[in-house]
Amino acid sequence: MNTFKSIFIIITFSFFQNKSTAQAINWGNISNRNKHLLHVNVGAEYGLTAGLGYHYLVPVKKFPIWIGGEFSTPGGNKPADDFKMRLGAQIRIAAFNHFQFSARVQGISRRYQNQSVTVFNFGSDFAGTLGYYQKHWFGAVEVGFDKAIVTYFKHSDWYKENIYDNVQDGWYEPATGGNFYYGLQGGYSMKKVDFTLKAGKILQQDFESQPLLPFYGQLGVNFRF
Amino acid sequence: MKNLFSVYLTIIAMSLFSSSCNKEKYIDEPGNLVPKTVMEDSTLPAISVNGAKLHSEAFGPVDSTLIICIHGGPGGDYRYMLNCKTLATKGYRVVFYDQRGAGLSQRFPKTWYKSQGSDAINKIFYDELKGVIAYYKTSALQKVILLGQSWGAMLATGYTGKYPTEINGLIVAEPGGLKWDDVVDYVAESRSFKLWSETLNDATYIDQFITGKEDQHEILDYKAGLIGSVNAIVGDAGADLGNNAPSYVASRSGAIANAASYELGQDTKPDFSAGINSFTTKTLFIYSSNNKAYPESWATKISSAYPNKEIFKAQGVGHSGMIDQVNFWTTTMEPKIIAYIQSL
Repeated sequence: MNTFKSIFIIITFSFFQNKSTAQAINWGNISNRNKHLLHVNVGAEYGLTAGLGYHYLVPVKKFPIWIGGEFSTPGGNKPADDFKMRLGAQIRIAAFNHFQFSARVQGISRRYQNQSVTVFNFGSDFAGTLGYYQKHWFGAVEVGFDKAIVTYFKHSDWYKENIYDNVQDGWYEPATGGNFYYGLQGGYSMKKVDFTLKAGKILQQDFESQPLLPFYGQLGVNFRF
Repeated sequence: MKNLFSVYLTIIAMSLFSSSCNKEKYIDEPGNLVPKTVMEDSTLPAISVNGAKLHSEAFGPVDSTLIICIHGGPGGDYRYMLNCKTLATKGYRVVFYDQRGAGLSQRFPKTWYKSQGSDAINKIFYDELKGVIAYYKTSALQKVILLGQSWGAMLATGYTGKYPTEINGLIVAEPGGLKWDDVVDYVAESRSFKLWSETLNDATYIDQFITGKEDQHEILDYKAGLIGSVNAIVGDAGADLGNNAPSYVASRSGAIANAASYELGQDTKPDFSAGINSFTTKTLFIYSSNNKAYPESWATKISSAYPNKEIFKAQGVGHSGMIDQVNFWTTTMEPKIIAYIQSL
């Protein structure tokens, strides 16, 4: 049960530290005087979503790290039935003049519910971003992979009475899904505020199939303090 | 803070690479999230037709008038039509079958559907229906009546237009359209969910939890079933079969059959009304009051293809309700259908 112990710890951390977002970050204007990053966003990612997050800057000389997490939820008339939490870190790995390369590693917990089933999943998100960063603006490309590692299914009475009475509830592994994504991101930065935009395409892990909504996009605002 | 970061990395690494003590449960294993098909469960009633093993059963006297029930989709199944089983107690031979790649019938890869070329609808669906009729028909004089709902009504119409002399009665319940452009319009109208709606969100959000390749039917069928659970636009509330329900609950979408059929439709632009003008026997055309995508104007337009018809509006039910709601079936639809058959 090591998986679930570690997952439990992740969730505990995410709740008690109320962390940040997998947000586009301007690596060109980070400062030790503004170690806190509050982030809000709206966008499209497997549905229309709204999110809120927080990051804390760990100023490790050449390898600054933003640690934090985000919470997002899609549209719909049942606001609490679906959500996603990410918790992890973004680290700048290399910098050459204004060109910088960063990596993001996050643990994900997410929930989905409809008339048939409640699904809870733990996953991971790895991404690399290469961009050109100035103090007041930046542009970058990102490539990432979102893996649904282990998933719990609990089917409703309706499902069992109307669709399949012998459905097997419980934890499903190995991984139940995975999607690659790639796209562009950019932003404009003022003194303590960044306006960011990112958009790209999502492809299933077989490199052929697409999700029903095969793209993502996000409009965000960062507040540094 | 460095220690905290180390903890984070450790946690994430553990979650990725550690293994569980539980017995692994696979989402692509038949029987876990979706029921097994006739290929994995030999106890299911099945027939072999046109190169496929189909989930199929029949009720009633074997030599009496055949009523072939044709389900919707493509990619649905016949379970929701089982109220029609009561026609067997009225002296008819009632036949149900899940179409190839749908319900509990055998699955085929998408490449197989696409390989059928420009004559795909004929080879896949008409030949299959012809095989089903031939399987259950015991004599040349035995009458055949087709009863199709939604896509099943389109298929029944197309088949009747192709073989007008072989069909003795035609009952169609809300065929979405008969010409391809009408089909596209109806599908768009019946799935015109609002951008922020729960229904649309339910359809798209699941893609980050479950993904499947084109040959992983268990996964794709499961996801298709989740999407199709509810559609308030067409006014369906879920089947109520009463005592007509079988002893087991096993319904399954055919995701590949659905996707491939739609793509074939886009490629070949089939006309399901072709030849139906030569079918001069009266057709019973049914539409419902609760399907917002099927107003009277649409019913008038679609039914105009049938040269001789009786139009019946099913009050108080939706797209499938004229068949899948046992009370409406018992009090209204079954008497109407029997009266129609007796009038032929």
